[in-house]
Amino acid sequence: MSDARFSNRKIVGTSVIPDEAIPLVEGDGRFLNDIKLPGMYHVAFLRSQHAHAKLKSIDTENARKLTGVIKVLTGRELLGKVDPFRSMPNRFSGGESVQHWLAVEKVRFVGEAICAVVAEDRATAEDACDLINVGYDPLPVVTDPRLGEKDGAPLIHDTCTNNYLIKREYQRGDVDEKFKSADLVVKRRFKIGRKQALCLEGRGCVAGYRENTFTLTLWMSHQLPYVVRHYLARHLRMAETDIRVIIPHTGGGFGQKASIYPEEFVCAHLALTLRRPVKWVEDRVENMVASTHARDQYIELSLAANSDGRILALSSDVWVDVGAYSTYLWSAGMEPLQTAGLMPGPYRIDALRYCTRGVATNKTPTGPYRAVGRPSAACSLELLIDALARKLELDPAEVRMRNLIPNDAMPYRNANNLVHENVNYVPCLELAMAKASYQAQRAEQRAAPLNGKLRGVGVACFAELTGLGTSTAVGPGTLLQPGRDAVTVRLETTGVLTVAAALPSQGQRIMTAMRQIAADELGMKLEDITSISNDTATAPYGFGTFASRTAVLGSGATIKASRELRQRILTMAAFVLQEAVEQLTIVDSVVRTLDRSKTITLAAMAEKSFFSAKDIPQELNQGFEVTAFYDPKFGSFAAGAHVATVDVDPKTGLVEIVRYIAAEDVGTVINPAVVEGQIIGGIAQGVGEALLEELVYDENGQPRTVTLADYLVPSALEVPRIELHHANTPSAALGGFKGCGEGSIIGALSAIACAVSDALNLKGGDIYDFPASPERVLRGLGVIPSEPMD
Amino acid sequence: MKPAWFDYHAPRRLDEALHLLAEAGADGRVLAGGQSLMPMLNLRILSPAVLVDINRIDSLTSLDAGDNALRVGALVRHADLLRSADVREGWPLLWEATTQVAHIAIRNRGTVCGSVSHNDPAAEHPSVLVTMGGSVVIASRGGCRELPADEFFTGMLSNALEPGEMVVELRYPRQPASTGTAFVEFARRLGDFAIAGAAAMLTMRAGVCERARLTIVGMGEGPFRAREAESTLAGRKVGQAESQDAFADAAAKVVAAVAPHEDVHASSSYRRHLAGVMAARALETAFARAGGRPVG
Amino acid sequence: MAREQSIKVTVNGRTYEKTVPVRLSLADFLRDHLHLTGTHIGCEHGVCGACTIMLNGRTARSCLTLAVQADDAKVITIEGLRAEDGTRHPMQQMFLENFALQCGYCTPGMLVTAIELLQDNPNPSELEVREALSGNICRCSGYQAIIDAVLEAAQQGNAAWTDWSTRSQER
Repeated sequence: MSDARFSNRKIVGTSVIPDEAIPLVEGDGRFLNDIKLPGMYHVAFLRSQHAHAKLKSIDTENARKLTGVIKVLTGRELLGKVDPFRSMPNRFSGGESVQHWLAVEKVRFVGEAICAVVAEDRATAEDACDLINVGYDPLPVVTDPRLGEKDGAPLIHDTCTNNYLIKREYQRGDVDEKFKSADLVVKRRFKIGRKQALCLEGRGCVAGYRENTFTLTLWMSHQLPYVVRHYLARHLRMAETDIRVIIPHTGGGFGQKASIYPEEFVCAHLALTLRRPVKWVEDRVENMVASTHARDQYIELSLAANSDGRILALSSDVWVDVGAYSTYLWSAGMEPLQTAGLMPGPYRIDALRYCTRGVATNKTPTGPYRAVGRPSAACSLELLIDALARKLELDPAEVRMRNLIPNDAMPYRNANNLVHENVNYVPCLELAMAKASYQAQRAEQRAAPLNGKLRGVGVACFAELTGLGTSTAVGPGTLLQPGRDAVTVRLETTGVLTVAAALPSQGQRIMTAMRQIAADELGMKLEDITSISNDTATAPYGFGTFASRTAVLGSGATIKASRELRQRILTMAAFVLQEAVEQLTIVDSVVRTLDRSKTITLAAMAEKSFFSAKDIPQELNQGFEVTAFYDPKFGSFAAGAHVATVDVDPKTGLVEIVRYIAAEDVGTVINPAVVEGQIIGGIAQGVGEALLEELVYDENGQPRTVTLADYLVPSALEVPRIELHHANTPSAALGGFKGCGEGSIIGALSAIACAVSDALNLKGGDIYDFPASPERVLRGLGVIPSEPMD
Repeated sequence: MKPAWFDYHAPRRLDEALHLLAEAGADGRVLAGGQSLMPMLNLRILSPAVLVDINRIDSLTSLDAGDNALRVGALVRHADLLRSADVREGWPLLWEATTQVAHIAIRNRGTVCGSVSHNDPAAEHPSVLVTMGGSVVIASRGGCRELPADEFFTGMLSNALEPGEMVVELRYPRQPASTGTAFVEFARRLGDFAIAGAAAMLTMRAGVCERARLTIVGMGEGPFRAREAESTLAGRKVGQAESQDAFADAAAKVVAAVAPHEDVHASSSYRRHLAGVMAARALETAFARAGGRPVG
Repeated sequence: MAREQSIKVTVNGRTYEKTVPVRLSLADFLRDHLHLTGTHIGCEHGVCGACTIMLNGRTARSCLTLAVQADDAKVITIEGLRAEDGTRHPMQQMFLENFALQCGYCTPGMLVTAIELLQDNPNPSELEVREALSGNICRCSGYQAIIDAVLEAAQQGNAAWTDWSTRSQER
């Protein structure tokens, strides 16, 4: 049976307080840095101070002699023993980027690891780093992708012509024809600044040697335990089964902890060679240069439209500054391909053309971060739609309404070959506008506020493809297809159900959700269900937590496993109770007949299955442990419409968000309070993207944002109270679920950007360069002279 | 980010501390609140050989609101000023500026004297001390001296202390009657280092500005005393009708005079523009508080 | 050579005597020497607030305090908010019921800062709550649930304390 709507729903849909939160609120979390093993050593990395240089010499003698130092490891020592990271293949790749775990011949970004110092404590390891002398031969630096792609630009990787780590051209539909025949063409250039996830807890690992039966045990602050295990085995030339990966409590991930990095692999190697546990904790200064960055895009976007505001075609040129290496696992292709490929968003776009490039530069490599290429794409298109609306003197929300894919046109195949269905684009916009009193806000705006500020209203709509199955890649041409996952359910002999999945949470309470689903599927009390999620020794093989997939794939697998388990339970109970299976049900962890005349607890059932097996025919006692896989095949579109109202101070350029409405379609909701937390958390990061966060480099490739005093994330004063509403419709996936972890950041960046642009346009100004810092706002108003974007 | 090694001392008497500082010379640093010093040690921007922790010296905790002046000892925390009704009423500019310093946990430990000594261009206290015409009491093993605020700040993150010297007290005179003050600053987020700010003090008599004092925060070299702006206002008739022009003139003088630095948060041209905006806002508010028209 | 010193510090009501390196931070002392790992390290330059504890009754960044400075001091950490019988502090209970934590990394600092706020200001407005918490970064929640938890705690009026022994005497 494959009902899209969730049946027997009692606990799914309620905001149960997650047991997962209890140790955390009481101070008993076990995060990576809380783990201590006897005899553990500590690692610090010496990192490159040059953005691009040949490594002439590395003198480690004084470091090695320091009391308390155990070992100083260089890249040369690793040659031949371990395999460096070669960029993941993609159909559209440029040349290959090879990343040694510790730099050997060359360094390519400030912060690249050169040596690993092992010492008795971290402070001593840092003392030793200060004693290492590195001789650099500086090379010319590339910091602008539009310059880096030119012939004659310094090459960062010998095999990557024009520094392209990826380049793709795409066309579908008669784009040229549509641009020629359109009533008007609107074109703009946008810049989206460089960001990073800024997890409050940095990366880190503890590598253990011969803990229990595993040669290598790696505790790691990460999102993908089995993926890490797989690549550890490959690169350390070990058997996967000799390795155990355990994910402790994780202080934020957001995709930054879904890439494979050199440091943890170095630590694994050290534990094996030193035969002692080795710990590395990334401090904040390291984190600013050693963990993946994101965004940093130049987008030239044109649309062809008719005078009624209908968009006929989109054409874009995208340059993404992907940093010095193609980040391992996901490749440098993710952002460039997603930004350009997903540009049409929720709109009916029948003709699409793009040329997208991931250009290597001498900066920290970029990797996936919450919504990857979608915020930049949506922000650009939403701003361009506003420009179109202004030209046509139409209301911006009305123009969107005319272009959104309406429900009665679904299933609708867009020019990027994605099929939209089971999603509420128009209802979300209608709901957002109603709750925002949109018309009244526009009237108020025209009346000009008395406080001397410029009032702006921004509307943004987005589509978000979640829960990808095997027929949809995370990026076109990506050869990694994590479209399915697994859940195991097991009824223990005391009647407790364990739900196990390799889907670690960083606060999104995935296993609480799975428990809720299992409870409803099996008719069990929630408190009779526990979970395991973060250990390759105990959870079934799975891809992990990323790309807003767990609500769909985890739920689907939980449903399938639970239904199979339920069938086994009832089949055996029919024998035990001497009743027909059709006469039986499970309620509150008790199997009973429909007329309640006979009952048996699940605990008694499980006990019988093990301890009284001789009394039960084998074919009726298959055991109460089931693993199920789920592949939804396609993705499930989620959607949203956000309305942001801002006041801009025309003297200082400060932007204050005075009101924020979000209307989202996140499918069938498992735990409303958890979902709300995800959506609001995403909006908060969108506030940061739109107004505050930016990683800055100088022309020598030196990072200028190196502490939290430089890189500004929103505090409780910058994030407004969010008014959140829902226009949910179930997906076609099993259970009707959709992911909700990433959509809202797309809406927030776009809505706030549009609101600021709207405010500036009151005075004939505009803004195309984000984040909309106060300075950029004043430049957009012409209050201080503009600097060209070049 | 762990600091490099240092020798640590926590004397209980001032003379001990001064002796240790004299011995350490340029290699010694005073540890008071630590809210500016410890980040630098953790980041290994600074690696002093000797740390003299003064937190055990009881005599330095005194906060004395006298008839003529407020005396702020080296261990008075920002939070202590905020909790003092005497300071709030008698030295409102100092009090108002202190509300802008960082966040609660920082204010609980950080000291006013520490902030003044550190002289970060974005800090509030140096500019307030200058505007209020305060002075810095400096002690060393060899004795004591008192410097007017104008002479204490010698450049970005620099001060007039010689090796072996430390600030033991700040003195803030009471403001004259009919004086209004205002401290305003602009930062990307509340509590961040100011990009620009202004500490203004206006003494009015019968519609004439008797005395104007204005110092600009965030201009790179330390507190910027806006003397030309002050001159523009001193002796000038400033009633409700004239105030906008008067303060616009003063702000224009500020914009012409400052030579701000640029950093990752602001270019020098933006800082310069903001200096004018902050100056005007501070002057308008100070004027209103001196009995002029209410700020619109 | 003054590179190690003995300190005597009371943490969550229990007094410890330890010898520590002088350059050791209070945060690392609590976490590594006393094994109270509830206090978290997020930046080591005083900005993020995850390391915030109560030092002699006032919030302080434990990453900017040396362990040797805590000699003779009283420290309260998140572990001290729970009673010996396991009863949660009312502020912890409000956080739990309002979903005011996701990854939990900022929570230790948020809790003590919120408690200090209510000690100083028993009936704060939403803006005052936001201002008080503006020195504690949360990357997961967008703050709304945390604000709601603190406002509800203020309404209930029983969360403005950190000393269980005093608290039980009040009853």
